[in-house]
Amino acid sequence: MKILVIEDEDSLRDVMIRSLEKERYVVEWAANYREALWKMNDYSYDCIVLDIMLPDGSGLSLLEELKKMKKKDSVIIVSAKDSIDDKVRGLDLGADDYLTKPFHLAELNARIKSIIRRKQQDGEMNLSYANIIIYPDRHAVFIDGEELLLNRKEFDLLYYFVTNPERLLSKDALAESVWGDYIDQVDSFDFIYSQVKNLRKKLKTSGAKPEIKAVYGFGYKMTYEE
Amino acid sequence: MKLSQYTLRNLLVPLLIIMTVWAFGFYFFIMHEVNDETNDTLLNYKEIIIKHVLEDESLLRDNIGIMNSYYIREIPAEQADLSRDLFFDSTKYIEVEREHEPIRVLRTHFLAANGKFYELQIEISTLEKEDLKEAIVWSIIALYIILLGAILLVMHFVFKKSFRPLYAILGWLRGYHPAKPQPLANATDIDEFKTLNEAFVKAAQRGSDIYNQQKQFVELASHELQTPLAVSINRLELLSEDPHCTEEQLMEMASIHRTLQGIVKMNKALLLLSRIENGQFPETEEIAVAEVIENMVADFKEIHEERRINVFILKEAAPTFHMNRDLANTMISNLIKNAFVHNIPDGEIYIELLADRIIISNTSESPELNKERLFQRFGKQTNRPDSTGLGLALVKSIADLYHINVSYHYNGKHQFLLEMKK
Repeated sequence: MKILVIEDEDSLRDVMIRSLEKERYVVEWAANYREALWKMNDYSYDCIVLDIMLPDGSGLSLLEELKKMKKKDSVIIVSAKDSIDDKVRGLDLGADDYLTKPFHLAELNARIKSIIRRKQQDGEMNLSYANIIIYPDRHAVFIDGEELLLNRKEFDLLYYFVTNPERLLSKDALAESVWGDYIDQVDSFDFIYSQVKNLRKKLKTSGAKPEIKAVYGFGYKMTYEE
Repeated sequence: MKLSQYTLRNLLVPLLIIMTVWAFGFYFFIMHEVNDETNDTLLNYKEIIIKHVLEDESLLRDNIGIMNSYYIREIPAEQADLSRDLFFDSTKYIEVEREHEPIRVLRTHFLAANGKFYELQIEISTLEKEDLKEAIVWSIIALYIILLGAILLVMHFVFKKSFRPLYAILGWLRGYHPAKPQPLANATDIDEFKTLNEAFVKAAQRGSDIYNQQKQFVELASHELQTPLAVSINRLELLSEDPHCTEEQLMEMASIHRTLQGIVKMNKALLLLSRIENGQFPETEEIAVAEVIENMVADFKEIHEERRINVFILKEAAPTFHMNRDLANTMISNLIKNAFVHNIPDGEIYIELLADRIIISNTSESPELNKERLFQRFGKQTNRPDSTGLGLALVKSIADLYHINVSYHYNGKHQFLLEMKK
């Protein structure tokens, strides 16, 4: 899996690359329009993470260039501008997703995974971790082939854990994945706590091998020991 | 009180006094002149009579006419006082008219050619004087009223015309908003108003400039903050995944993470405020408020499940807002969130949906809030660490955009009212 990160802010690019490398992607990067253009021209990527505000040009015109090259690279736009216009234009130009800064690394991960999965599998998409299989489109979960019934919020949480296995997920990130960001995260911490507790219980009784661990005040982590 | 009323009132008082004094003065002066004239006539008459009597003693007798008469009576020498002319007003009974008519009388003494002293009393009818007096009084009253009325009327129009530019400036100021300054159309030849025009236009321009700069500053600052915030949060997330982190370190990181999330939230709210003010939410639709509220209440109830808050939704009508959907969600969710967050365990929330208004009230421990500061940015009156102090400012800003009136009342419960202005 090859990913191109186009971001002019060194520090943010560095942290994104490090996070993506943890997921065992091959990560390349470009810090400006010119560099990005020739990398896009010369190579193919499974996913391009594109900042639309570059010092020497707009990420949106990079997107247009990409379409002109008739390349099929998936693109996630990352922008500091939470503007509906930009979002609509970006998606119209063929971007697959739009993420507003600041975002959680886990969220970026989840989005990239979802895009790559959509691209790879022509049939029904599924996602698996150990003996858990998730069918996101029909909100179904199977453990060792047995269907596990979860409510909507529990499903969202499990989906987030499975897209980010072995990674520490903050309560904020989890709350956002369930509620979007219109509800204050802090208010929902108790709720996250009880939902995770329920989910953990359900996974255990249905014989799922991965386990959700609480990590002190920070959040939770899904781990699986062979 | 209006400036024109004030000026006219101030003008009226001295005018009334001056004109009254003038009217009385005029009246007495004229009357004095008339008496003088009559006295002169009587004296002339006296000269003529005495001259005739001295020449012809047979004329030493009374003469009674219609307009004037005289009486001659002999008096003892010791009573005679030749130097005295006594004038006085009197009345006389006229038999033909059967009434008393006013007369003016001159009584004087003289020494006739025969060496005897006589008293001469001359009487002139002053009927004309009475007529004159009446005419003068009526004229003065009429003049008084007409003059006063005319002065006030003229003043009123002159005032209106002179101060038209002032009222134009006032009207313009009333409609002034730094976000959208209108040009001041107030052509005038008067120097003072020209200066005033220039001063106000300049001040308004400065106001708009400052407003725009501030707006832009907030916008740019929050934009610029996005990336460093993203970097900090993401680095912290990466760091937290380091297996060498101790429990204490993780707790510390969680606390920093939460603080950073608070800044992110505040920053997002500031950006949203800027975007609302810049009119960046052009798409509008009919929003069925009941549906939005019910969905949100379900979500919030789930989140605040452990506090067992009872929500009563009273649907008397199905109000709709014509507005942007995202903004409607933000506005309503902020109000409902507050009703939950500032509630007490086992508390209550009442949501009343009426045709033109929505009332959200909740029980709470906190006393009545300060209405003045409530809807201001960072005007928060609680010290909850997770409160951005921007929630109600956002509500107000969105409500203003769509001409919805939002107000706060306290009747033991905290009550927020959204009213559609028709």
